Amino acid sequence: MTAFNAILLASFTTPMHIGTNPASMLWLLPLLASFVVVYKATKVYRIRAYPFIRESAVLFGSILAFIIVIALVLYGVTWVATEQLPGLLNKSSF
Amino acid sequence: MAQSWKDNHTLYLVTIGLLAWLVPGAGHYALNDRRRAAVVGAAIILTFLVGLYVGSIGVIDPVGAKPWYVAQIMNSPVVFLLGRLSATGDFPVYGRPNEIGQIYTSTAGLLNLLCIVNAIHLAHLRGIERADD
Repeated sequence: MTAFNAILLASFTTPMHIGTNPASMLWLLPLLASFVVVYKATKVYRIRAYPFIRESAVLFGSILAFIIVIALVLYGVTWVATEQLPGLLNKSSF
Repeated sequence: MAQSWKDNHTLYLVTIGLLAWLVPGAGHYALNDRRRAAVVGAAIILTFLVGLYVGSIGVIDPVGAKPWYVAQIMNSPVVFLLGRLSATGDFPVYGRPNEIGQIYTSTAGLLNLLCIVNAIHLAHLRGIERADD
């Protein structure tokens, strides 16, 4: 087995190191691109380069924008529940 | 005569479905839709390989992660072989690489299922057109 084959095989038998930091969320982007390309490929009547890329880019942008909006809403809910609500509950109304 | 056409048509659809499962994109290729086959095949195979690269073949776990395995098996029968390799327990993977690897490989499988259904649908439509001619 050549060194190249050994390295290639080893890269599929050892997991990568990915931390649990916010940057790891960027792994959703390639998956989203793949999803968009396959979905569009099954939907369009005929695949032509320019319209296909344009439609895929629009769908990619729409889904990404929706994900960002949902993330912001969830972040807001979490911020209220963890930062604001405990302070309000500790105060007496009387 | 009608029964014979229906039998052949069913066999044709099953063959297209099996081809699409064996190699992502092969179903569309068999329907002479080569550009679609190339796009679909490249996207699904790349997604699957990225998933394996991130999490190693340990993400294909037919014992401890059966629901994920069901989705992964939609990629190709090759996943059976990888699952048998992985079932030995020689490729442990935990944490974020496991999650991302499973999500990528399972999504690739579900996308291939979409393409299998699409290829069968196209084959069915073309079969009906042929029968009408």
